Amino acid sequence: MSQFANTASSVSFDITETAGKARAGVLSAGTATIETPNLFPVVNFYGGGRAESMFGGSTHRTIKELMIGADRVDSVDCSDYFDAAMMTVSSLTEYGISRNVLRDYLSEPIKARPVFDKFNGMLFIDSGGFQILQRGGLDGSDFQIDMDQDAVFDMQQKMGGDILVNLDRPISPEDTYEDRVAKAQQTGQDALQFADLAADHPGARYLTFHGYDYSMIDTFVSTMQDEFGDQSIHELFDGIALGGLVPKKDDRDALIDAVLGCKEVMAENGIADLPLHVLGISNGAIPLLAALGVDTFDSSSYLQSGINGKYATSLTKFINVDDADFGQCNCPVCSSDELVSRMQGNAQYRKDIMGPVAVHNYIVQQRAVERIRELIQQGETDPLIDYIDATVGREDSTRRHAHRVVNESLGGYF
Amino acid sequence: MKQQPKVNEVNEFLEIASDFEDPLEVIRESLSNAYDANASHVEFTIRERPHGSDIVIEDDGGGMSRQDLESFFDLGNSRKEDAIGYKGHGTKIFYKSDEIVVNTSRDGTTLHAEMKDPWRKLNNKELPEYTVTETPSRKGRDGTLIRISGFRSGQGLGPESLTYNKIEHYLKWKTIAGSTAHFFEDNHHDMKIEVDLDEEIDDTKGKLEIDSNFTFPDEQLEPGDGDFPAERMCKHFPSEGGRVIEVEHEGGTSEVEIVGMVAGKEARNELATYGKHSAQFGVWLAKDHIKVEQLNEAVPDNVEHTHLMFIVNCQDIELSANRGKIRNKSSNVYQRLVEEVRHYLSKVCSHPWFLEYMEARRQGELNRKAQSQSDSVAQRRERLAKRTDFVPENRAELVLALERSNRKSGVKEIEVADYRPNDEVASFIRDGDDLKPTSVYLQVEDHFADDKPLETIDTVLAWEWGDRDSLREYARQGYHDGMLSVDFAEQKLEYEKDGERKQVDVVLVSKRLRQEKPLAEIQ
Repeated sequence: MSQFANTASSVSFDITETAGKARAGVLSAGTATIETPNLFPVVNFYGGGRAESMFGGSTHRTIKELMIGADRVDSVDCSDYFDAAMMTVSSLTEYGISRNVLRDYLSEPIKARPVFDKFNGMLFIDSGGFQILQRGGLDGSDFQIDMDQDAVFDMQQKMGGDILVNLDRPISPEDTYEDRVAKAQQTGQDALQFADLAADHPGARYLTFHGYDYSMIDTFVSTMQDEFGDQSIHELFDGIALGGLVPKKDDRDALIDAVLGCKEVMAENGIADLPLHVLGISNGAIPLLAALGVDTFDSSSYLQSGINGKYATSLTKFINVDDADFGQCNCPVCSSDELVSRMQGNAQYRKDIMGPVAVHNYIVQQRAVERIRELIQQGETDPLIDYIDATVGREDSTRRHAHRVVNESLGGYF
Repeated sequence: MKQQPKVNEVNEFLEIASDFEDPLEVIRESLSNAYDANASHVEFTIRERPHGSDIVIEDDGGGMSRQDLESFFDLGNSRKEDAIGYKGHGTKIFYKSDEIVVNTSRDGTTLHAEMKDPWRKLNNKELPEYTVTETPSRKGRDGTLIRISGFRSGQGLGPESLTYNKIEHYLKWKTIAGSTAHFFEDNHHDMKIEVDLDEEIDDTKGKLEIDSNFTFPDEQLEPGDGDFPAERMCKHFPSEGGRVIEVEHEGGTSEVEIVGMVAGKEARNELATYGKHSAQFGVWLAKDHIKVEQLNEAVPDNVEHTHLMFIVNCQDIELSANRGKIRNKSSNVYQRLVEEVRHYLSKVCSHPWFLEYMEARRQGELNRKAQSQSDSVAQRRERLAKRTDFVPENRAELVLALERSNRKSGVKEIEVADYRPNDEVASFIRDGDDLKPTSVYLQVEDHFADDKPLETIDTVLAWEWGDRDSLREYARQGYHDGMLSVDFAEQKLEYEKDGERKQVDVVLVSKRLRQEKPLAEIQ
C-alpha cells in the first residue's frame, strides 16, 4: 500500500452499465453519492457577501436562492437538480473581500452551514490553478496570500469538498514541449504533496491531466509518474480531472482528440476504472463527452448565458430571453408565474431577471444529462446514437463531430 | 351566367405525346405498365421499317379490363392508384405511330382494340378513334400484347441510334428494369425482360435478357496494390438491403428509402449508366424506384459527389408528365426530404470506411507523386553525371558557387550574411564591418529585366553578365529615370538619379571560380 494511499475509504466508483465507450455508474465521495454521467454546475457559494445575503450579490445570489428554494425567489425549490456543484478556491476572492470575510468563509464547511442546508449534493472543489497562477496568489481588499499546494488544500478542506483536486499548472496552446514538461513536473510534485496532505481526507482525491492529444497527455502523465516514483496513480488518487481544454472549448475535434487520448492513457496506466471528469466544458459537448466515456463535467456556461440574457431552448440553442416562450418549458423556474414575470423584465434588479434564466439554462443541461444517463443505462448503443443524431447531429456546427463520436465510440450508424 | 372552361382535347393529346421526346420512353412506359400489371415476363420486339419502327410488347401480367383499356387510350384517366402509371399520360407516347393494336386477355376474355393513324389524325386536329371487340379466351392465359406500327419519335429506333448496349444501359438507368425496390421489403416483384432487335438494328446478339433489379458492383473494402489503390474500393450503404427513414413534414410523415454505395472509378465503371457516364454519379431522387433527378447538392461540401451513387426513393415527390422533372420542389415535403438526405449523406461521409477510402486515394496520389519525383531524381542524377563544369541553375546554387569560390586560393573571401530570395533585396554580403545589400541573379541582366531598383543595393551577385548588349541598351535608354553606365572591365555599374550618384559593384562568381589572380585583383 502506498505511503499516501487514501485511508478514509469513503470513495467508490462503480460502473453499472456501458454503451460503446459510454458508461453509467455510481460515484460516492465524502458525504454524497451521485449517478454518472453527471454535471457539476459551477456555483460561487461565496460571492463576496455575508450569510444574511446568502453570501453574495448579483446573479450568484439568485442562483443559490433557487438552489435552496428561498422566499426571495417565491420559494421555487430547484434543489433536486443540484445533486452536485463545483466551486474553485480562486473564486473565494473574486469580489475583493477582506481578510476577516475570508476567515469567516473558511470557518465552516459549505454544507455544514444552515443557510445551505438544502444543498446536500456532491461538492467538487477545484484548485483554480489557472487563476491562482495568473494572479500569483489570492488577492483580497486588505491581504494577499501566496498560494501553494499546502495553502490550496487547506482551503479546499475547510470548504468541505467531497472531491478535491491538486494544484495544477494548466498548459496553454502556446506552450512549447519544454514548457509542458516543466508544468507536468511541477504539477506532479504538487500532486504528490496533495496526495500526502489528503491521505486522511474523507472525500475523493482527483489528479489533473493536461494535453490536447494522446502524446501530450502521455508525456504529461509520464512526467508526473516520474515524480510519484514507485507509487501508482491508482494508489494515490481516486479520479482523474482532464483540464486545460477551455481554450479549445469551441474546437470539438480537439476536445474529442483530448478525451480519446486521455482514455487511452488511462487504459495504458491501468486506471481506466477511475472516474474521469472534464473541467470547464459543457453545453453541446455534453452528449459527445458522455459518449466518449467521460463520467462528469462542470458547467459555468449556464451562468454566463443567463447573465447575457440568453435563454436555452435545448443543449445547443439559445434565444434572447425577451423572445422566450416560457410555456414551452416545464422546469420549476418557468412554471412559476412570479419568476416568469421577473424573466419578462418585471424586476428591480437585473440579477432577479437573469438568475432564474441561468437556473433554467442549468436545468436544461441537467435534464439532458439525465436523459443521456438513462440511455446509457439501457446498455445498448442505438438509443444513445439516436439521441446524438437527433440533437447535436442536427446542428451544422456539430454534425461532423457527432458523426465522429458515434463512429469512434458507439460503433457507427451503419 | 356561369361558364365552364373548355379543353381542346386534340391539342392536349398532341401536347402530352410531344412531351415524350426520347423514343426509348415508349419502352419505359410499356415496362411500367407491365410491372403494374404484375407481369413476371415482358418481351419487346423492335423492327425497323421504312416509315418508323414496329414495336411489339408482350407481357404475362393480369391483362386489362374494358375500363383499363379505356384508360390506356384516354388522357389523364388512369385507374391505377399507387402505381407507376397513375397519371394516365405515359401510353400517349404510343400515339406517335400509324397504328396501335392491343390484345389483352383477362379471366377468360380477350379484348382486341385497334386505333388507326393516331399521329396523323392528331396533327390534322382530329381525335383518333379506336374499336374494341371482345372474344372468349382460354383461362390462365392472361396477358397483354401491344403492337405499335410506324412508331416515330425523336431520332427513332433505327440502327443509327439504337444498340443492345444502349438499350440495356437505358433500361437499367431510366426504367423499372433498374428498380431499387428489391432492397426494401415493399411491393416488389421480379420481372424478366427480353428485348429482340431487328438484325438490321443490331446483330451482335439474338436478344437481350435482363432482370428488373438495380444492383451495385461487388464490395471491395480493402485498397488494391496498384498505383490507384482506391479505384476498385467499394462499399454499400447500408451493407445489406436499404435504409428507410421517416421524414416528418408539414403534411405528415413520408417514407424515404435510401440505398447506395461509395466507390472508386473502376468499381463505378461496372455500373451501366445512361448518358455521360461520369455525370451520372452522386445522388438520385427516385419515384417508384426509378431515378428521376440528381440531388448532388446534398453531398457534403468537402466531398466530390462522383464518389457516391445513392438512390433516394420517395413516393411523395411529384413528377412532370414525362417523368423527367420533380415539380413539387417548393413543397415542405421536398425541402424536408433534402434535409434528411443531406444529413444521411453526412453520416456516410463520416463513416470510418469512407475516411479509409479517401486516405487510400490520398496515399495513392502521394505514392504516384513520390514515384514521379523518384523519376525526376534519376534524371537529375544522370544529367549531373554527364556535366563536367558546374554551372548554377538557380539563385541558391549561385550562392553555393560563391561559397565554393571562397575556397580557391588567391580569391578574396565574400561572406553571405543572409539570403532571402523572395525579398526585394535578396541578400546581404559582409565586407569587413560593412553589410552590403546585394541583388542575386544568375545574370546581371536579369536584375534589370526584373525591373529591380539600383538605389537600394550596393552589389549585384551574378554568375555572369548575361547579354552585354542588353545591358548597354539599358544604359543607353536610361534606367528608372536615371543615367546608367556599365563598366564591364572594372565590374561596376554607375547610376545617377536626381543628382545622386551611386556605384554598384558586380561580383561575377564564374570569374572567381575560373581565375586565380592576386587577391587584390579579384573580387
